[in-house]
Amino acid sequence: MIYLQLFVSFMKIGFTSFGGMSMVPLILEEMSSHGWMTAEDLANLVAIAEMTPGPLGINCATFTGMQTAGFPGSVVAVLGVLMPAFTLTMVIAIFFEKCKNSSVMRSIMYFVKPICIAMILGVIVTLGSETYFSGRSVQIWSAGIAALMLYLLIKRKWSVPAVIISSALLGMFFYGLLPLII
Amino acid sequence: MEKLKKGLTIFAFFFKIGCFTFGGGWAILAQMEQEFVNKRQVITKAELLEMVAVGKSCPGIMITNISLLFGYHVAGVFGALCAVFGIIGPAVIILTIVAQFYNAFKDSYWVHAALVGIRAAVVPIIGSAALSLGKDALSTPPAIAICAVAFCLSLFMGISNIILVLLGVACALVWWFIRRQKQETALPEERKEA
Repeated sequence: MIYLQLFVSFMKIGFTSFGGMSMVPLILEEMSSHGWMTAEDLANLVAIAEMTPGPLGINCATFTGMQTAGFPGSVVAVLGVLMPAFTLTMVIAIFFEKCKNSSVMRSIMYFVKPICIAMILGVIVTLGSETYFSGRSVQIWSAGIAALMLYLLIKRKWSVPAVIISSALLGMFFYGLLPLII
Repeated sequence: MEKLKKGLTIFAFFFKIGCFTFGGGWAILAQMEQEFVNKRQVITKAELLEMVAVGKSCPGIMITNISLLFGYHVAGVFGALCAVFGIIGPAVIILTIVAQFYNAFKDSYWVHAALVGIRAAVVPIIGSAALSLGKDALSTPPAIAICAVAFCLSLFMGISNIILVLLGVACALVWWFIRRQKQETALPEERKEA
């Protein structure tokens, strides 16, 4: 039963990972043990997942499901990877709404919120060094796009979709058209 | 009927957010802040950050967890389901199409150029959210200290996010216990307000 296998595999991946790239080794293990995908296929899949919007886990589940069992396969794979959200997170959501004003919960949040900001800063540092520097040289156009977008977001209050679309167009200009002209 | 309408609105919003969530999911924060905190005022900055903290700490995908927490907060279990299916909708549709002819897509010169641009915008997007949420969360000196310690631990010692959150919860419980012994119940921020 391919659908059940897909569902169980992606449910396992969902429950044992915390999203993003941390899922990749788990996905590889499940994929190769069933013979659904090679490491190279998965590398391509990660590249595509990065090119398309949405969470990596959902992208991987959709793609793998499609490749192994068509559209119904992708539906069951996605439902599988969502199982932790529908069970554990749902219970936590219910519990959290009930007691978020208790003194214990407020103490926890007092500590966890600054930690959350620290995590976001960490992501900015890692992503920033990957995006704007290659080796020792600075990616000038990328850095320029970033500076412009930061200005538009903060000072001009541009929305995220507007920023994404205009930076895609700028990317096509600086990294697509410009190399062809010069 | 009212419930159905609310659910559909949540679905539509998260579907839109799902279309523009590039670069590992943290961009969802900036979008939720723009849409739900600033424009519609459904939740406060502090509530959004709490959802992120809880969503990140649960297993599974952070974005779907955060969507679920928001949906539940606004419209119960039905709202939670609407938010989750909304946020994953665009990803499922796009990947289904891309899977059909992924070789052409993978090697497209123009797609690559556009993506370099999008990738350049991800850091400012996350940064703008961090800036405004940070102002709110780091309003007291102890909070700034906690943030600085956590940042150093993750950057220089490579301690994972989950361990950081667990450490934070442990510290919080100890702190709560000590304060209870001393019969203090108010948090520093509340004392300041009073």
